[in-house]
Amino acid sequence: MRISVEVNGQRFEEEVEPRLLLSDFIRHRAGLTGTKVGCEQGVCGACTVQLDGEPIRSCLMLAVQASGRAIRTVEGLAPNGELHPLQRAFHEAHALQCGFCTPGFLMSMEAFLREHPEPRREDVREALAGNLCRCTGYLGIIEAVERAAREMRGADVQGG
Amino acid sequence: MKPPPFEYQAPASVEEALPLLGPDSAVLAGGQSLVPLLNLRLARPELVVDLNGIAELDYIHADDGVLRIGAMTRQVALERSELVRERWPLLHKAVRFVGHAQIRTRGTVGGSVAHADPAAELPVALAALRARFLLRSPRGERVVGAAELFVGPLSTSREPDELLFEIEVPEHPAGAGAGFSEHARTHGDFATAGAAAVVVPGSHAGIALLGAGPVPARAEAAEEALVGGASAREAADLAVRDVEGEHRRALCGELARRAIEEALG
Amino acid sequence: MGTEAGLSAGRLVGRPVRRREDERILRGKTRYLDDIDPPGAAHVAFVRSPFAHARIGGVEVPDALEGTFAAITAADLEGRVGDLPVQGIQGGWVAEQGHPVLASEEALYSGQPVAAVLAESRALAEDAAELVEVDYEPLEPVLDTRASDVTMSRWHKLSGDVEGAFRSAAHVVRASHSLPRLAPVPMEPRGAIASYDEAEDILTVWVSAQDSHRQLAGLAKVLDRPEESIHVIVPDVGGAFGSKGVPAPETVLVALAALTTGRTVKWAEDREENLVASYQGRGVEADVELALDADGKMLGLRARIRADLGAYLMPTTAIPAHTTAMLMCGVYDIQAADVEVVGARTNKVPTGPYRGAGRPEAAYFLECTVDVAARELGMDPLELRRRNLVREFPYKTALGWTYDSGDYERCLELAAELVGPERRSDEERVVGTGFGMYVERAGGQFESARAELLPDGRLLVRSGSSPHGQGHDTTFAQLAAERLGVGLEDVELRFGDSEEVPRGVGTFASRSVAMGGSAVVEAVDALKEKCAAVAARVLEVGEDEPAWGEGGSISAADGRTMSLRELAAAEPGIHADARFSSDLSFSSGAYGAVVEIERATGSLRVQRLVAVDDAGNIVNPLLAEGQVIGGIAQGLGQCLVEEAVYDEEGNPTFASFVGYSLLTAAEMPPVTAAFVESPTPLNPIGAKGIGEGGSIGTPAAMANAVADALGGIRVDPPFSEEKLWGALRKSGR
Repeated sequence: MRISVEVNGQRFEEEVEPRLLLSDFIRHRAGLTGTKVGCEQGVCGACTVQLDGEPIRSCLMLAVQASGRAIRTVEGLAPNGELHPLQRAFHEAHALQCGFCTPGFLMSMEAFLREHPEPRREDVREALAGNLCRCTGYLGIIEAVERAAREMRGADVQGG
Repeated sequence: MKPPPFEYQAPASVEEALPLLGPDSAVLAGGQSLVPLLNLRLARPELVVDLNGIAELDYIHADDGVLRIGAMTRQVALERSELVRERWPLLHKAVRFVGHAQIRTRGTVGGSVAHADPAAELPVALAALRARFLLRSPRGERVVGAAELFVGPLSTSREPDELLFEIEVPEHPAGAGAGFSEHARTHGDFATAGAAAVVVPGSHAGIALLGAGPVPARAEAAEEALVGGASAREAADLAVRDVEGEHRRALCGELARRAIEEALG
Repeated sequence: MGTEAGLSAGRLVGRPVRRREDERILRGKTRYLDDIDPPGAAHVAFVRSPFAHARIGGVEVPDALEGTFAAITAADLEGRVGDLPVQGIQGGWVAEQGHPVLASEEALYSGQPVAAVLAESRALAEDAAELVEVDYEPLEPVLDTRASDVTMSRWHKLSGDVEGAFRSAAHVVRASHSLPRLAPVPMEPRGAIASYDEAEDILTVWVSAQDSHRQLAGLAKVLDRPEESIHVIVPDVGGAFGSKGVPAPETVLVALAALTTGRTVKWAEDREENLVASYQGRGVEADVELALDADGKMLGLRARIRADLGAYLMPTTAIPAHTTAMLMCGVYDIQAADVEVVGARTNKVPTGPYRGAGRPEAAYFLECTVDVAARELGMDPLELRRRNLVREFPYKTALGWTYDSGDYERCLELAAELVGPERRSDEERVVGTGFGMYVERAGGQFESARAELLPDGRLLVRSGSSPHGQGHDTTFAQLAAERLGVGLEDVELRFGDSEEVPRGVGTFASRSVAMGGSAVVEAVDALKEKCAAVAARVLEVGEDEPAWGEGGSISAADGRTMSLRELAAAEPGIHADARFSSDLSFSSGAYGAVVEIERATGSLRVQRLVAVDDAGNIVNPLLAEGQVIGGIAQGLGQCLVEEAVYDEEGNPTFASFVGYSLLTAAEMPPVTAAFVESPTPLNPIGAKGIGEGGSIGTPAAMANAVADALGGIRVDPPFSEEKLWGALRKSGR
């Protein structure tokens, strides 16, 4: 089947089998390997991308289903070169080690913070539960998300 | 793991979809349950019928006090619906326990019902609410209740050529409180036990248990007892009377008690 | 605390420097194994045994299917490749039961590779693999070490007057403990790509691994090729935790397939394979006896350790249980010990090193027994420990190793102070506190580094260590930059490519800062000496005159200066090599936990966890704390939700995340991490190892906290609601 999928604002037209997963389309056909695959079961969250701004498991969607739709991946988070506050916060808080899970976390949390700009710690912990990390033990990631939320609200500008 | 090969169709309407259903085809709704099975090669349909293009199946509205949810309504839409939150709070509480946000973006209400996982939250909540499920096939339409629909783990009485197209939820009784509680090993993991409750003290009770048996079933003896003035604890004990395993019974009972207490406000 | 600079921090060393490696990860510019897409590569899918034990009558491959290139069975491998090698254990015995590349006459565990199919895509390879017909004759599997009559490893040490100690003891405490198998579950599964250049006779292998050295040595041995004819490249690696140390049988197959077919061959392990076929951790039981005098002084220890090794000895399978045995006296001064470990064969996937690799087991077995002793003697568990801690270093243990330095008492006191012990019981819940101490082996053997000056005057360091999340690029840059007097931006590190780095040992066993970092320091020092000699020559002054100043410049007494760039120009390619060896150094620590168990359900909540680790001098406290927290999450996973369970037929119930849970952010308790720094005299940095402490101290502290909450009833992990609920009812507490 011939499909046309927009990823980070760029259109990709490819001939695909119906069984091709969106995660494999993004990585191997569009060549955007920033999105990782960790389980193909929808549990680990490494493959999380955004579909029309909402976070989804790209391993649980068929590429054919994304035809005519717009996808955003980690490569699209900092389009003008300047890092997104979340990316900066992850760096400051040492919220990554091997980095394999990181793109999935970023795409999940960017969407979460857009919808919940002032989350309580409990909300952050629950929202993070949709992504697995085996290296960091999560505490740095929780801190990074809270930091980014503050910065995005402008709280840090006032020294808050 | 990559899926086995299959044919694929994406009908634009229910009329187009119906002739495609059958024992060799699988319905693709949100994909959050089907695609993992395809990826593990545990599901091997010849044809995958993708319902995601059928806009007419995606709606939430209330007519004459009855809530009607189109089968392709996303779980996140149910979660965000003000209408549902205000008037059918049990559904709002239950859907927030479904997996994670990323699952709910794509997962559908109808998909969850049709998949009938005994650990799923929506079937249990809908059972407690005495919801009815509308099925359509080339042979006509029929409406069934939860007891008739859910026949076993991952098994419903939907015929292979039937499409679940709407979930109908009767009016929440005036003054009813709602409660939902569950237990899972980790947050967002499949629930090991849980309970849904909607209660008007002295006049109405809907209680259903998750993980207590092969299907999400209403605990009718517990409902009667609650209406009759029993305490949350007494009703909970009744609800789990037949649950096997001492610890399992204790766990289910505690969750039922919490759900009922929450509903009692 | 953890993220502040230590007392002895220098300009860079000892400071919480943020990582240089982060940016490309955050931008999605990484290249892990599966991100590498060689055009026209043949993709591999394996046919794996569905039986735990079966005779294999024959393997029939389907006729050429569209898109399929080849199918490989054991018959095709005959004469070309042997079994994987088996590493011995010092002072002990191991069987010759190496893992075959592909099963030939029998399959000995569910998931064992039996055949491989190469095709245009992974999906097509899986399609073809389903059509391979294997004639299996299922046999009865052995799933319990007690039912096994095949021993694959044995070690025994008797030291001191053990008989006398037990005879004269006022108390003899006995306790038995069990730690089930765990799956390592790195977020990135394993994988390898191989390509053979026939003209040059060079086999190039990209592999998701903990280092290039062991992969290269292993491949050379099994393929019987000279090492110079193999080029191993380790790309970005998404975690390993011990599971990517030695070459997997699948990696060998991929290399062989490249050699025989002339194609580039790729295997990207999927999660199902990773859960089922990657070697597992733990799977050990122990019966421990502790002899004490009337005052609680430990007089002697006996331990019988039984390890479930699985079906074959992977190269490092026998090592963790041996390490456990060597550390059975832990932080205590016990000079009479009788410790035996027996490794039994079962029809399960082999076990091997997994975060902690034997040390968590030792800490668990010993620390749980100490708490049992405290209860039986009516002593405070902290006091019992205090009375027996090793206090003088170096300390030669009864079991053979020598602890270089430490301050066990300080660790314990700090842990007790920080955790704030709590013990309560009411209608709804019980609360208990527990401690676990550990000592762990770090470093050892050797590590290599080469320091070179680039033409622009920047420093290039090639290291034998190989990061897969630890942050070596930053940590080693801190060490090198400080040593040379330059900024971090003037230092470049290179890892992981066997042609780009000197031959070394690799990254595992908490060794990289101690060994790799020391090699870097020594290489930079050696380079500085060479540069000084060049400066003396160019500036025409005496050998000892040039002195290093700021920014990596070197000056004569009269002030004439040469910059690093000028030095590089004076002697292009100037470099120095270092090969740093040392004995094992020993990190230690004390962990404390406060847990709450809900009566109604048996639900466990960790109120708080304290980690006090002593890894000597800390080079980067931010990264060190990250290692501790990460290790704690794995230790907690072991305690709360992780267990690799085989059913009665020997089939894994953990083939997907539905059957094997990992903790999420929502389950992490508040953690306080603190460091005590007892520098080691064994290396120039004074650093030990911090990579595994979190996974070593946590289970012991948790088990003791749970037992405290249960009024003394002992439960082994995972601490499921069912176990705790039942135990609480039994306890009458």
